[in-house]
Amino acid sequence: MNELIPLMVIIPIACGLLLNLLHKKDTAIKILAIVVAIVLPIIPLLSNYGLHYFGGHAPLIENPILLETLPSQISQSALAIFHPAITYSYESLQKLFIFVLGIVAFFAIFTSLNETKKVSGPYMFLMFMGTAAVTALLLSNDIFHMYIFFEIAALCQVGIILVSSTKENYETALKYMILGSIGGPLLLLGIGFILGAVGSVNISDIIYAINQNLVNPFSQTFLIGFGLILFGWLYASGLPPFHTIKSSIYSKALPHSAALLQSFTVVTFIAMGLVIFRIFSYLPFLKVIILVFSLIAMILGVTMAIIQTDIRRILGFLAVGELGYIGIGLGIGTTLSITAGLFQAVNEILITALLFIGFGTVFYLTNSSDTKKLGGLITQNPKIAIMVLLGGFAMAGVPPFNGFQSKLMIIESALKAGFPEISIIAVLVSIVTFMVFMKAFYSVYLKPKPQDLSIVNENIPKSTILSIAVLLIICLIIGLFPQLVTDNISPFVAGLI
Amino acid sequence: MVVNSFKEVKMKVAKDSTTNESVSSVLAAELTLISTLLIAAIMLRHFNIVLAIVVILGLVLFFTTNMPLMPKIKREQDDSLEKMVFYAVLTLGTLITIIYWGLN
Repeated sequence: MNELIPLMVIIPIACGLLLNLLHKKDTAIKILAIVVAIVLPIIPLLSNYGLHYFGGHAPLIENPILLETLPSQISQSALAIFHPAITYSYESLQKLFIFVLGIVAFFAIFTSLNETKKVSGPYMFLMFMGTAAVTALLLSNDIFHMYIFFEIAALCQVGIILVSSTKENYETALKYMILGSIGGPLLLLGIGFILGAVGSVNISDIIYAINQNLVNPFSQTFLIGFGLILFGWLYASGLPPFHTIKSSIYSKALPHSAALLQSFTVVTFIAMGLVIFRIFSYLPFLKVIILVFSLIAMILGVTMAIIQTDIRRILGFLAVGELGYIGIGLGIGTTLSITAGLFQAVNEILITALLFIGFGTVFYLTNSSDTKKLGGLITQNPKIAIMVLLGGFAMAGVPPFNGFQSKLMIIESALKAGFPEISIIAVLVSIVTFMVFMKAFYSVYLKPKPQDLSIVNENIPKSTILSIAVLLIICLIIGLFPQLVTDNISPFVAGLI
Repeated sequence: MVVNSFKEVKMKVAKDSTTNESVSSVLAAELTLISTLLIAAIMLRHFNIVLAIVVILGLVLFFTTNMPLMPKIKREQDDSLEKMVFYAVLTLGTLITIIYWGLN
């Protein structure tokens, strides 16, 4: 059933457009959004692995009858192997990530529909469109196609912040757009350089051209292309120097939106990171560059998180810091490390979503996320407080949660690769993450309640509690049975190395 | 010098109402930053041991003479668009310089 592959992108786009048209018809929007949100994680489970050629234009080599009719300068050249159509590649890794993204999108949409008093069609449109865009990023085997959806995802993120009624949201969205106007065009320029050198934007074609010496991969065109694509990747994934704006957009979005936004970031990070790894792995310094940026992200993320007083900003910086772990997995570049990095990516999507929705209940109850103004909220809903605490344990890498398994794998891979320093830093950052989390938890839940703290909403919606509980259970299950995830990652990584 | 820098931290974050918490947070961040950077610098031994020693000694000198670092880093990492653009352009310039001229 390869027809299902493009549907993973088409269905959320179509749903988003329809929801936009249904604006103000609240019941219809709710029903349609929930139904499609349920469908999103199911499609990848039903779809078979394989390739999908848009327009049915397979490479000439797959059609021997047509190939025979063509002149030899075409049939016996690389043109016969090159992909004329936009190609989607669906493998175990894509299945895993699209499924996890679908789960987070479902809970973000589900929570949003129940927490917001007025259902907004355009807001739902942005959430579905963003989900479709990052799904396309994962599936696409074409760097220009990836760029298009990268821009759509960036615009959706800006839109989601704009429609979030929080303080300074317009300013942050505008800043993100301005920085995007630096990162986006430079990424496109980099793709242009590669297209100029190879004559194709298909990733398999580019790798084929490099391996068959059809192009000089150390030419200045290629190197500049690499530099610009790498810079675009830094912007897309929120690695330094874009960590500040990334953490800022998380803190200015509504908590359930932030849960979805961080999953967009992680998926974009791995989708583009893997493309860079596949194309430019011949460059000796590629891994060093990835390691440097990842380490800076970890160090700056966690140190900046310590000194924040806004829980959403703390989570934003911690999320950026956790990206560093994924980057370290890619940067070490062994089979075990990349598997560990991708495993960490899955865990980060789930844990950070849990924490954003969990701490989001504080914002829902009090309309504040400033730790100096909060306190004593454990009496308001102790169940949520405990679940958030366990979520924090998962993020810090406390057993038996999923974060522990992936971080242990990263540490193990670093030691095996001869980088004990990375292992020490990873342990250190985990400890500090735990400390930051406990500080935030104490300030919000355990500290005496300030007298001037007013509760604006008495009861937390059951849908929110359910979302947090299910995400926590998933984290626990993955922690106890990590092979559920790693078995899907290992075959992909084996093909990558 | 180090103790004085810790006292300086208190002065620099004194405008916050929760001074004790702010100061302890900044100190924890300061120690994390210094320790992780020093450990990361040891990795330079994979390229050249002498380079690693020189960089570590340079970092120690830099840290001791410039502490406290966190108030400075916090100031540089705020939400100001100018600073974000500055660091974005600086990173782009550094990357392209290293990749383009470093390999030719």
